[in-house]
Amino acid sequence: MTKLLGYMGMDVAAMTANDWIGVFFSLVAFIGMAAVYFMVFRPANKDTFESRRSMALDDEDHINVGEKR
Amino acid sequence: METTQATPVKYDMEVVRWFTIAAAIYAVVGTLIGVYIASELAWPFLNFDSPYISFGRLRPLHTNAVIFAFGGCVLFATGYYMVQRTGATRLWSNGLAWFTFWGWNLIIVLAVITLPLGMTSGKEYAELEWPIDILIAIVWLAFGLNHIMTVAIRKTTHIYVSNWFTMGMIIMITYLHVVNSLAIPVSLTNSFSIYSGVQDAMIQWWWGHNAVGFYLTAGFLGIMYYFVPKQAGRPVFSYRLSVLHFWALTFGYVWLGAHHLQYTALPDWTGSLGAAISLAMIIPSWGGAMNGMMTLSGAWDKLRTDYILRFLVVSLAFYAMSTFEGPVMSIKTVNALSHYTDWTVGHVHSGALGWMAMVSFGAMYHMVKKLWNTEMYSDSLVNVHFWLATIGTVVYVVAMWVSGIMQGLMWRDYDEYGTLTYTFVESVSAMHPYYAMRAIGGMIFNLGAWICLYNVVMTVRQASAARSIDAVPAKA
Repeated sequence: MTKLLGYMGMDVAAMTANDWIGVFFSLVAFIGMAAVYFMVFRPANKDTFESRRSMALDDEDHINVGEKR
Repeated sequence: METTQATPVKYDMEVVRWFTIAAAIYAVVGTLIGVYIASELAWPFLNFDSPYISFGRLRPLHTNAVIFAFGGCVLFATGYYMVQRTGATRLWSNGLAWFTFWGWNLIIVLAVITLPLGMTSGKEYAELEWPIDILIAIVWLAFGLNHIMTVAIRKTTHIYVSNWFTMGMIIMITYLHVVNSLAIPVSLTNSFSIYSGVQDAMIQWWWGHNAVGFYLTAGFLGIMYYFVPKQAGRPVFSYRLSVLHFWALTFGYVWLGAHHLQYTALPDWTGSLGAAISLAMIIPSWGGAMNGMMTLSGAWDKLRTDYILRFLVVSLAFYAMSTFEGPVMSIKTVNALSHYTDWTVGHVHSGALGWMAMVSFGAMYHMVKKLWNTEMYSDSLVNVHFWLATIGTVVYVVAMWVSGIMQGLMWRDYDEYGTLTYTFVESVSAMHPYYAMRAIGGMIFNLGAWICLYNVVMTVRQASAARSIDAVPAKA
């Protein structure tokens, strides 16, 4: 257990500017991913997201009036 | 689709047509160079004692041709095509799009001249010298500006997920290319990287793996999320999963590069972190592959008759396979066997031929029919191309798997006295049948690319001929 905790240990005093930048981006990535998971899997958002499913198919209406002969 | 205006739009598709034709040509050229250098490894007399066609000089030409010439033209073509259609708008600047076409092709010409002459910065997948690097940055930024501004002037309320993938690729590749290419020039054709030692190695593989992650994966996933539903005539299986796929890939991929440097001077924890995140990336990658596959729910029968769809679906199978194989190879125990062997070469080509090239061919065939408003000259030839591409890829990859694992096992085999069982030369000699098999696999794939080019050219000619007949005024 102690050995396991050792992996989690952080010598704050010894941390360089690079280490702090790394910590910052790690946290940004972690929080960002958590926010995306929350947003995507929130039941209230399901219909909004899934209403875009056929967006690629619907663009035929536009290409038919495009520059094709 | 939610549009804020109902007026017809006229797209800027001429530049897309040119990029598509260029991609078909570069597919032939890039894989032909690959076949030649694969043959040089199997039959070294093909060097003909000329430095200009030696493996060391032609190999970067091959990688630049397939990744940046073929892959790049596909990304430009599909990027401009998708952003207009899903945004129901023309390009922000057609002139800038033409600048990217001529600029990108100028870069390719410069690569063809400089690389065989031995002018190289020595950085893998970024061999071109500093003046060309600056040109790449300018053209790429023009592409980014045009794409992002076209998204900004879209007539739809939502930005389709394919455009997110393309924009993610553009932003990340700009950042990666500039940082990785920072160098001190000593002449017009020579420069030295500003990094040294292990930092240089880390920057190299931060770029190298993210070129795979963002250029060869994110960009082509954008293609997949547009062209698979289009060709299948089915909506995306789960749009939520596509959003999750994009963000997980964006947040996750940048951490992976260190797994290329296991057992080197790089701090051990960095490689472990790279391997751990690599394994975590299996989840979004497989989620995305399943999303693409499941888009065919209720339309699997189309695979019997729709040869273009076959390209797209098989590309997803290779995508799933490569994104499982890569993380497994990043684990230190597996890496101890696989690193520096042909297994890596097999893995790369499983992704490059099976995923990237297959999805590209599928998208190109789809676009050719739409752009020239015609059917393919020969559907049978599309089918022949599909089988040649599939068989060529499998032959190539299997040869490299067997060769690589055998290499790894021979290199680390010790006898009872603790000395190496095999000399390096013996391992090279043992590789010969597999090198020949790899060259044959490449030839089969290259033959398919020739058929694709022929079919595309004939389709364009067929469409032009039909247009000429239509244009003749009827006699009174």
